[in-house]
Formats: sequence, structure tokens, C-alpha cells
Amino acid sequence: MEASIPGTVPLEALLLTDELRNRPSRAPQHEEENRALVALTSALADSPQTILQTLADEVLAILDAGSAGLSLLTKDKKRFYWAAIAGAWRPHIGGGTPRDFGPCGDVLDHNIPMLFTHWERRYHYLSMALPLADEGLLVPFYVNGEAVGTIWAIAHSNSRKFDAEDLRLLESMGRFASAAYQSVDSIENLKSEITAREKAEIELRELTDSLEAQVQVRTRELRRSEALLAEAQRLSSTGSFSWRVATDEITWSEQLYRIYELEPGMPVTLQLIRTRVHPGDVSLIERMKMVHSAQGGANDFEWQYRLLMPDHSIKYMHAVAHATHDQDDQLEYIAAVQDVTARRLAEEAADKARSELSRVARVMSLGALTASIAHEVNQPLSGIMTNASTCLRMLDADPPNVHGARETARRTIRDGHRATEVITRLRTLFTKKDDTTESVDLNEATREVIALSLNELQRNGVSLRPELADNLPLVTGDRVQLQQVIMNLLRNALESMNGVEDRTRQLLIKTEREEGARVCLSVQDAGVGFEIDNLDRLFEAFYTTKSDGMGMGLSVSRSIIENHQGRLWATRNDGPGVTFSISIPCVTRTTTDENNVDRNTISEKQRAAGGI
Amino acid sequence: MDTRPLISVVDDDESVRESLPDLLKEFGFEAQAFSSAEEFLASDSVGQTSCLLLDVAMPGMTGPDLKRELTIRRREIPIVFITAHRDENVRPRLIAQGAVECLFKPFTETDLLEALNAALHT
Repeated sequence: MEASIPGTVPLEALLLTDELRNRPSRAPQHEEENRALVALTSALADSPQTILQTLADEVLAILDAGSAGLSLLTKDKKRFYWAAIAGAWRPHIGGGTPRDFGPCGDVLDHNIPMLFTHWERRYHYLSMALPLADEGLLVPFYVNGEAVGTIWAIAHSNSRKFDAEDLRLLESMGRFASAAYQSVDSIENLKSEITAREKAEIELRELTDSLEAQVQVRTRELRRSEALLAEAQRLSSTGSFSWRVATDEITWSEQLYRIYELEPGMPVTLQLIRTRVHPGDVSLIERMKMVHSAQGGANDFEWQYRLLMPDHSIKYMHAVAHATHDQDDQLEYIAAVQDVTARRLAEEAADKARSELSRVARVMSLGALTASIAHEVNQPLSGIMTNASTCLRMLDADPPNVHGARETARRTIRDGHRATEVITRLRTLFTKKDDTTESVDLNEATREVIALSLNELQRNGVSLRPELADNLPLVTGDRVQLQQVIMNLLRNALESMNGVEDRTRQLLIKTEREEGARVCLSVQDAGVGFEIDNLDRLFEAFYTTKSDGMGMGLSVSRSIIENHQGRLWATRNDGPGVTFSISIPCVTRTTTDENNVDRNTISEKQRAAGGI
Repeated sequence: MDTRPLISVVDDDESVRESLPDLLKEFGFEAQAFSSAEEFLASDSVGQTSCLLLDVAMPGMTGPDLKRELTIRRREIPIVFITAHRDENVRPRLIAQGAVECLFKPFTETDLLEALNAALHT
């Protein structure tokens, strides 16, 4: 029938049914047949539930077969299941064959007995049923005239050949079995029981499969959440650990090993932790142990400490711990340890930027400062002038009011003192010996001032030429004050060139090394210059050439420079303009050319030398 | 009754309050000094003052504040501002708002006389 299925042989090649007639048949075994039928009858009476198995046993015996059994159609008529087996195939009870592709199906299709030889050549799945069948004899099994299964006998060796008598006996047994099948409810029950068992097995298998799938999903979820946690720990530079107090067991997360730069999985001991914790600090676990042994109980912790890594770098740790109880109700601490080094460094950088900003603001504020000084000084000056006028008028009167004149003259002197006080206060302000003494690179300080003034330089059409000497020695002093002076000189130069149209508004800033361990900075303008004989007058307080100037800038600048043991002076250029120069002693050390001079050492040296 | 014009000086700086009235008297004016705008407003000099020498920046009520207050009270007294804060932008603004003059301290007696003359002949 299904000869076209590849790799299979046609049904006809399996069949030896015709040979049954030709083979020499043994004598009819009536005696044996009777004995078997009696046995079946008594089995039917005594234990109807086992009638099918008894049938298989009796067929095996009477046919002297290797295996014998009974196949029944399942309710859905898609399969035959082996309801009972005796002999070598006994272990295969419960197995079966497809309805439409197997020996049982062939028998039912043709509704005749059939003798097969090596059916596994066509029905490959039967090669799994060992031992192999050399011959298989099947007869249909009827219930109410309808074939519902087969009875069969198998010869596993080629020394046993079924014959016509075997067929007769099998058919005889089959008929009896049909009768028994019809009368025994238990067979139906058995069938449904088997169906139920099959169903249950399927359901169980499905349930198992679904459980396994769920376990897989959960495992995946767990792995994923573990991976997420690990990723979160890595991203936030946060490690975690647990400490079981009773067993003193400490467990670290992978990230914590990474932060401590230790091999993951190393047994965590206090000694191991100590190899990383900064000698001056106490780690969280040490802190927890201290507190726990001192006062016991469950506490929460927040703690900061440092790690000192083998490469001498410092890591800053911020740690929190929370007391909890494990499933055995034992005290357990869960801790999170965050590496806040990056944040700390960022904060420090921000602090530095802020102080830098305020320093720049102070450099810029000399202008604002002189304005407020001007206000303070103008008040007594106003009194002085008014009093002097009054005084003159009183003396010029007829008769002269000598008493009044004397009084106003006295007031004039007092206002003069007030003005002096303001100046004194101002000088004190700039000679304050605070902690701002440091090693200053005048080149660097000058570059900053230039950077701060670029806008103004551009706006005024001034071309600036810096000539800053290489390897300029450092000077000691207040960087901000020195920058205020440089800024002031630069501004003056700028303003002096405001009206210049017939030549380039050239500004030269120069630094150079001088004889006698000094450094010189000069600011040369091409401005209008000064219409006075003695340029030193420029540095007198309140001397000004500007309509809105107070004459304070240069005076204050000279105070600052003198406080640095330096000099500030002005010289006329050969061409137009003026040059202002500063000369300051540099740090007298052999290593002064290096920028990384130890600041403390210099300050000490300076103090010892009675410096600023 | 005194017929000399009364010049009132309002300034928080003591040396101005001491020196200026004496000079004004030498000029031939009657003069009074007040240390704050509030003190001046509370005095009976408000109705008799011919010219006000008024400081710009003072604690409490400022010079411009006092000027506004007088306008509200319909006491249109000619005002010469005096200030120790030399800001060239301030002067034109104050004059635009109705001040006769704005003098920067320290000022000369010539500047002061010119300003007063201008104030009294408006």
C-alpha cells in the first residue's frame, strides 16, 4: 500500500501468509487448546481484570511463541496500544503502533490474519522493539462484529516457523477473547484507565515541561537581575557586602573586589582588608565590629574612609550598612560601599575653580576698590577745601575774624588727619601679612592678566606684544596683589593711548632676569606721556592726570611692590610714551628655576630672612 | 526778621556739616546743617529754605528720595547736589531730573558760588 514511502519495502515483501498453507503443519493440538480455554474461562471467573494478560500468557504457551500479546485501538482510533504482552516483549506493555502504518493496521485494513517476516524493514520503529521479530502472526480481534484490535504471536528465532495449526489455535483463542471482551466491563475500564493514564502522562509531561520552562524563565530573570545588579554596582562604583555576625562570615560582591582591586572570590579577612585600607583610617567593617563588640545590638552605619592602593593612589569610600536578620533569624549586616573618588576629585576641582574665580574677581576689583577709597578720601578733602576758603575769607574781612579763622584752620588740620587715616588704613589693607605668600611665576601671572584684559585691549585697538623670558626665576609673594599691580599698569598704559591716532597703539609687556637675583617686569606704552618734570610724582597719592582718576592706582601699586622688597618706577621712552618697571628679588635657591619648589620651605626661608 | 536767604545743608558727613555752613555765612547767607533727609523734613526750615545743598548717597532717605518727597509736598526748593562719588554719569541724570547743579567733592568755592547763584535766580 505505502510502497512509495522512501527507504521502506512494500507490505507484500513482508508477508508469508500464503506459506502457512504450504508449510508442513503439526497435528491439531486439541488437548492443549482445551486446557488453554479452561484456563481462560477460570481466569474470566476469578479475575476478569487480568483476562487479557491471561490470554497473552496462554497464546504464548500454546503457540510456543517468543512473545505474544493483544493490541487494542485507542478511543480516538489513531493508535494501537499493547494492552497485554507475554514473553520477551513483556517490558513493552503500554507501547504500541500507529493505526495507519503498522502490522495491526494492515490486519484490520484487510480484515484477515497475516504472517509477517522482519516487519521492521517497512515499519522502522519496530526495530526499537527488541528482540526483533523473525515472524509475526496476527489475527483480527472483533467486538460486536467490528475489529477493534489484534492478537499476535512472535517468533524471535528462525528455528520456529508458524504453520496452519498455529493460525487455527490463534483464531480460536481470538474468538474466545472476543466473547470475554464483550462480557467484561473491566476491559472497557481498563481501556479508559489506560487512556486516562496516557492522558495523565501527557498532562504530567506537559506540566513538567511548563514547569521546566518556568524554571528556565525564572533562571533567566534571576540571571538578568543579577547581571543588572552587577551592572548597576559597576556603573555606580558601588560594591556591597554582608556580614553574618554569629558566624563572622563576610561575603563581598564582585564589584567590591574590583574597587579594592583584589582577585574576586578571595576569602575576605580583616588582614586582607587591612592591606588596602589607608593606615590612618578605619574601614566600615572594622568600625562595625568595634561598635558591635562595644555595645552589641543592631545598628545602622554611615562611614567614610580611604583606601591606599598599591600604586599609592587614594580612593575615597562612602559606606552605609543596615542591620537585618537572615532566614534563620540571625543578625546580618548588609552594606553598600561606594567609591566616591571621582566625586571627591570633582568637588575639589570645583572648589579650586571657585577660589580661582574669586581670585580673578579680586584682581579685577582694584578699580572698584579705588573708587570706594576715593569716596572715603573725598569727604575730608571737601572739608579741607571748604575750611580753607572760609579761613581765607575770615582773614580778608575788615576787621579780620582771627578767632574764626583759627577755628577753621584747626578744622582743616583735623580733616587732613582724617584723609591720612584713610590712606593708612589702605596701606594696612595691602601690607596684611596673611597666608597668601607663595612662589609666583611672574610670566604665568602676567599671562593671566593679559587673558583677563584681552577684550579691553581689542576694544581700544591696542596691539599687545608680550616678551616673557624663558626660565624666569620664581618670586615670593602675594600672587593676587602682584596681578593687581600688573593689571593697573596695563590699564594705565591702555588709557594713555586712548587719544593716539597717528601711530600704532603698541603695548609691550616684558619680563627678564636681572643682576643680583632679581626679576624685572616692564610695561611700555606709546601713549601721550606725562607733562611733568619728575615722573616720581605719579606715585604720590591723589596725583592724577585723568579727569575721572583719583590718583590712587599707582600709589597703591608702589606700596604693594615695596612690600615685596621691590621697586616700581617710571621712565620716559626714547620715542612716545612711558615705561613702568617693577623689580622684585627672586627666590634665592639653587633650585629656583624649577616650578615645583616646596612652598613651605620657601616661606620658612623667607620668614627666617625677615621677609614679608 | 532776617532777610538773608537760608541755605540748608543736608549731609551725613560731619566735616561737611561743620565746614560748609561757615563758608555759606561768609558768603552772606543764612545756613543750617542737617545730618539726614528725615531730620530736615522734620524741621521748620523746610518752608524757609531758599536753596538746598543736598548729599546724594546717605543712609536711609537718599538725596534724590528727599527731592521727590519735596515735590510731592509741593515744596519746590532749588537743589544743588553734592557728592563724594565721582561718577560722570550721575551729574547729567540729576540735572535732567530738575537739580540746578551737581558738585563733586571736593569742590572749589567758585564752583559753589556759581551753583548757588544759579539756584537763587531760577
